[in-house]
Amino acid sequence: MTEPLFKIGAAEVDVECLMAEIRAAVEHKQERGVYRDVALAQAERTNLANLQDDETFLRYYLDCLRNAVFIDINDFEIRERRRLGAGMLVGLKKAIWKMLKFYTYRLWSQQNQVNGLLVTALEGLDEKYRNRLRDLERRLAALEEEKAKSCRPPNA
Amino acid sequence: MPTAERIAFVCPRFAEGATVGGAETLLKALARQAVTTGHRVTFLTTCAQNHFTWDNELPPGPRRVGNLDVIFFPVDANRDTQAFLRVQDAISRRSSFTEAEVQSWLKNSVNSSALCAYLQEHSDEFDWIVMGPYLFGLVYFASRLAPAKTLLVPCLHDEGFAYTRSFREMFRNVAGCLFNSEPERALARRLYDLPESCGAVVGMGLDPFEALPDTFARDHGITTPYVIYAGRREDGKGTPLLLDYLTLFLRRTGKNLKLVMAGTGELRPPAELQPHLLDVGFLSEAEKHAAMAGAVAFCHPSINESFGIVILESWLAGTPVLVHARCLVNREHCLKSNGGLWFRIYPEFEEALLTLLQQESLRRSMGAAGRAYVLREYGWSAINRKFNDALRQFAGRRI
Repeated sequence: MTEPLFKIGAAEVDVECLMAEIRAAVEHKQERGVYRDVALAQAERTNLANLQDDETFLRYYLDCLRNAVFIDINDFEIRERRRLGAGMLVGLKKAIWKMLKFYTYRLWSQQNQVNGLLVTALEGLDEKYRNRLRDLERRLAALEEEKAKSCRPPNA
Repeated sequence: MPTAERIAFVCPRFAEGATVGGAETLLKALARQAVTTGHRVTFLTTCAQNHFTWDNELPPGPRRVGNLDVIFFPVDANRDTQAFLRVQDAISRRSSFTEAEVQSWLKNSVNSSALCAYLQEHSDEFDWIVMGPYLFGLVYFASRLAPAKTLLVPCLHDEGFAYTRSFREMFRNVAGCLFNSEPERALARRLYDLPESCGAVVGMGLDPFEALPDTFARDHGITTPYVIYAGRREDGKGTPLLLDYLTLFLRRTGKNLKLVMAGTGELRPPAELQPHLLDVGFLSEAEKHAAMAGAVAFCHPSINESFGIVILESWLAGTPVLVHARCLVNREHCLKSNGGLWFRIYPEFEEALLTLLQQESLRRSMGAAGRAYVLREYGWSAINRKFNDALRQFAGRRI
């Protein structure tokens, strides 16, 4: 659970300042890994389209996914909805589950590997293009400055 | 300079009873105010009420509604809905489509040949034809009948449809546009290379009201704090995002909070949210205002708004708002009023909602600031002045 890091008491509100504080609090919590949760990535599915041109959104989204790509195959309970013979049916399901383990574990470990590699690849791509953009912007700024200098009249 | 005598308003639906929608409400309100300021007004609309089916539910023909003369025309029955939806999907995803497909989409959109025929025959009787919103075949084809006297109330959003050549031509051909906000005008100018004089920012006035904050909760047996959304419930309005965010918020924070969803459209909430969700469907204006007055915040997750009537109503009810940062119009309202917060991603939503939830004095201050902003900027006297100034401005250009 998260609590706000600040309190506002003044009658006069400045929402711009308030939002700056909210963003700072979010950044601080992001650094602490508070939002590293697959549930966040799921909740953001519909937000992906809204923020597809947002440079920082992909990094945040991948961060949510980072610790969630590795699925725990034992993290579920075998249940039976039918009341009649539920105990026996659960036992049967458990037995089938154990018998198929040699196969499902193989699938599971391969899938986990693929998930992890995909996220790593996406992070790599994101980092690569982010650096490339930064370099190009730096170069552009330098060229613009050079051009401005050369256009300036000698006595200015 | 004389003001216009006779104005026709054209809108695909007439806002009455359960027929809700921002653009419909706005055009009807402008038309009613035009009558009170001395214009002779005829409102042309279709017999449809439901914006999903577009069935002709109302009887065609003229009718007096309040102070308005309204003429209802049937929606054309020969729509190829499948073809319409196929192209609509391509345009909204901004994938590849041809201009011929856009034209076929417009022809299969909501149209009324009877309304267009009437307008064609009677256009000489009107000084101005005010029509909107832009995203309908009916408005597109009607705007071509008498473009020199057509004023568009576009309710424009930054969406795939706005980037098509057909709409570019529509915006460039009409006499002018009546925008709802500065960000909307800036968007139109950017998309269609329009000059500064292409349109005026008018918007809509709101009548102040008083609503008791406890009534709605008492009537619906709500004993916990709640947040509210009111309006169309559909993907384009961002309601699935709100349902997902609220589900996660409740799971992560453990807060006891309800989500009240008012309005029309199907809801598909996650099972986990159902015990915390109160779907009240369509509410009367008074019920809606009471529901807003008792809420912790009004959440508006849509990124496609050209005016944001509901957030202004929420402020009149004294309740702060929480909006999506990508909706420039809503964010600008929040910045100008100091009455709302905004979020771009879930963590910002969580932090902002926790802040509002835990600080009642902040909520009160923001609600009061919002109300003062609406009373100052969106009183009818100010809006009527802007509307009449706009008519004079466009008349001056026409001479």
